[in-house]
Amino acid sequence: MAALPTDSGWWPAAGARFFCTAGRGLEPFLMREVRARLAATQVEYISGKVFFTTCSDLNMLKKLKSAERLFLLIKKQFPLNVSSVSKGKIFNEMQRLVNDDPESWLSAISIWKNLLELDAKEDKLSQRDANPLKRKVEENDIINPKKLKTKQMQELQESRECQLEKQMEEATVEQGDFLTNREKSQEAFQNDVVKAVAAPNQKDLTFRVSCRCSGSMAKTFTAQEVGRVIGIALKKQFGWKADLRNPNLEIFIHLNDIYSVVGIPVFRVPLASRAYIKTAGLRSTIAWAMASLAEIKDIMFLSIRCPLARTETWLSTEHSASSVDLSRDHGPGGAGALVLDPMCGLGTILLEAAKEWPDVYYVGADVSDSQLLGACDNLKAAGLQDKIELLKVSVIELPLPSESVDIIISDIPFGKKFKLGKDIKNILQEMERVLHVGGTIVLLLSEDHHRRLQDCEPGGIPRNSKGSHTDEPGIEKCLNPGGKTDLSDTVSSSAETGGQGDLDKMPPFGSLVPVDHYRVSLGRTGAFICRYRKSPSSGR
Amino acid sequence: MKLLTHNLLSSHVRGVGPRGFPLRLQATEVRINPVEFNPDFVARMIPKVEWAALLEAADTLHLVEVPKGPIEGYEHDEKFLRQMHHVLLEVRTGPSLASLATAG
Repeated sequence: MAALPTDSGWWPAAGARFFCTAGRGLEPFLMREVRARLAATQVEYISGKVFFTTCSDLNMLKKLKSAERLFLLIKKQFPLNVSSVSKGKIFNEMQRLVNDDPESWLSAISIWKNLLELDAKEDKLSQRDANPLKRKVEENDIINPKKLKTKQMQELQESRECQLEKQMEEATVEQGDFLTNREKSQEAFQNDVVKAVAAPNQKDLTFRVSCRCSGSMAKTFTAQEVGRVIGIALKKQFGWKADLRNPNLEIFIHLNDIYSVVGIPVFRVPLASRAYIKTAGLRSTIAWAMASLAEIKDIMFLSIRCPLARTETWLSTEHSASSVDLSRDHGPGGAGALVLDPMCGLGTILLEAAKEWPDVYYVGADVSDSQLLGACDNLKAAGLQDKIELLKVSVIELPLPSESVDIIISDIPFGKKFKLGKDIKNILQEMERVLHVGGTIVLLLSEDHHRRLQDCEPGGIPRNSKGSHTDEPGIEKCLNPGGKTDLSDTVSSSAETGGQGDLDKMPPFGSLVPVDHYRVSLGRTGAFICRYRKSPSSGR
Repeated sequence: MKLLTHNLLSSHVRGVGPRGFPLRLQATEVRINPVEFNPDFVARMIPKVEWAALLEAADTLHLVEVPKGPIEGYEHDEKFLRQMHHVLLEVRTGPSLASLATAG
């Protein structure tokens, strides 16, 4: 493996290999995201994990929005054979995970250290320009404002504010992070860095093993047993000490029927739990996925070195012959686009969208005072109160001119009181009214609502033949040996059953044409992310 | 709310003359809230502005330096854009959560 020497070790020339866990149904979004955000290569989705290679540093990795957790890969190999073999033999196989190729462990750990050290350096640089409020967490090399006279303080504040304004969004996010309640986790992260740097010799590492067994592995072994076996093997092989409470290094192992995977969690806190969201409503990963599907674009997004900017839509197939459509930045979805969430609740969708695409005009509406107050709190905690307007109005009576909104994204409340019938119909009609022609609507619908909407479509072919993945929607894609496990498969498969026919069928709601839909897991229940576009003809 | 939003909401009522906007503003309820200037964003908002409503609002709130309408080449006119930025995004009216009575 070609490698480049750095001062503290070796860095693989092609980048390091990682994997992420993702909620079911979000894997295609994650695959797209790592390609776009991290220029990732060798992207594959296998049984609940997305594997990829990238040269990105922790700052960029931290920005992943559709992943649950991120790990540096130590090894991935064939599943352990549990059938008709003695437990002892299988334990031996587990030990071989450690002993067969200790180099792979050491080089992964060296990469991990490099990542943390690089991040610590960058952190120090950005903290010199930091807002004095951050003083609480950092050292004493920042000027103590108390010693300055008031006027000087003002000037200092002003110049710092100017600096802040000039900094890239990344650095600003760092500041924002520190100003929220997540300081503890940031401190924990700093500790990680301190520890990694302070353990120059690998022999001084302390570690802890977390194990997960699923499938037939789970029937034979407990996670504790496996953890113990691996732990002992690691101690023997490398001389590390176990520390269950506050280790330098965490090792994560997942054994199932499809693979054995070992990795190092890169961050203490899951990516899915956002530093900038005070009270989560909808799951942040799903909120972001919905926003990404809505094709909100601001000027920055289009001009970025993002390979996906070349295709017309965020999730369209790479094979489409679309050329760069620069007029997009003036049409719906460009900077100055008006994005509305007419049932915003605590504002999670708007928060995720505004963080990613800030140069856009966001409006949230809800009828509940308590929700709006919560949303207001959230906006303030995230520093986004200037970007997002909140209104107490009803979705079935929006005080907005017709065709004034470019994009609508909303989580339609589940539950019995929103039966499909007059309510949903009124909601969709009002959304359709305020939406520009060519505008996009992305909704999160319960399985119930989605099924009924499909049945409503005249022409009657239930699109369920591809939509009825009750279990693993991605499984078919992931077992595709060609490795082309991207969204184009999902899109074209629903096109087969409904797509061609779509043009002939009358759209279910006036001029709203269904574009695509994705089944996602919300924990115990499932739901559908559905995208519609308003077509020029209104057929009623 | 921002004056931009007020403007959008005012435009909803069709056929109502400059005196009949349902969203009446009180001169006492004005705050100025500094917002980072983004010329591209402001430029793209200009086509959405309902000027009659905006001028009426500016009048009620005794705002000064409000452009009377879009000028030619406004996209590159920083002075114009900064004035519009101030009027649309930095002037805040009323409580932050607007409770609106049905129009009409």
